[in-house]
Amino acid sequence: MGKGQAQIANTIRTLRFHAGEMTQAALAERVGVTRQTIVAIEQGRYSPSLEVAFRIAKAFGVPLEQVFQYEGDIG
Amino acid sequence: MSYKQWNVVLTLASQVLIAGWLIWDAMVAPSAGAPVSAVAAKLLWAGLVMIIISIAAAIGAAIVGSIVTREEFKDERADERDKAIYARSMRNAYFVSSIAGLGALLLIAFGYDPVAAVYALFIGGMLAGAVGSVSQLVYYRIG
Repeated sequence: MGKGQAQIANTIRTLRFHAGEMTQAALAERVGVTRQTIVAIEQGRYSPSLEVAFRIAKAFGVPLEQVFQYEGDIG
Repeated sequence: MSYKQWNVVLTLASQVLIAGWLIWDAMVAPSAGAPVSAVAAKLLWAGLVMIIISIAAAIGAAIVGSIVTREEFKDERADERDKAIYARSMRNAYFVSSIAGLGALLLIAFGYDPVAAVYALFIGGMLAGAVGSVSQLVYYRIG
């Protein structure tokens, strides 16, 4: 949320597909957030906290950088 | 829309309803010259009515929502996004509320009818609530 949110891309939709078309509700349940929050993260409208980001990565069993990629400039 | 968003919409609707009634009341029976205590008591009743309408609307939304979605339509536990949106909305509401408080003080300081200051405080509070509700709906949409 807030500044820089559009500069963080994610592959949640792809990861859900490879996880047997896991539903947004199922992912939300596993991560411990609402389905609306998963929808917002997936669409790039909300950047989650580091903790939630790690929980999403853990739900798919992949490293964090495979789920989120920073696309902005540094410095 | 989620339960939280429906609740915000219904709260906003009740605020608009009460504001409409207050404006109509002020136009039909202007309170200029009326005792401050009488006006304050009337506005307190308006506040009470607003709380009752909000509770009834929330219960009604849960019942109608459950019938329409054919599953229990209930509030979910707020997560970090809900809390962030609420905090940002409250910041906007606080800004409006502060201006209303300042406006009420200025009205009294410049010798206007204290009744006007009471109205400014109440309407400012309602406006702050409405701004908070609209902010929540906007933040839920844009992130």
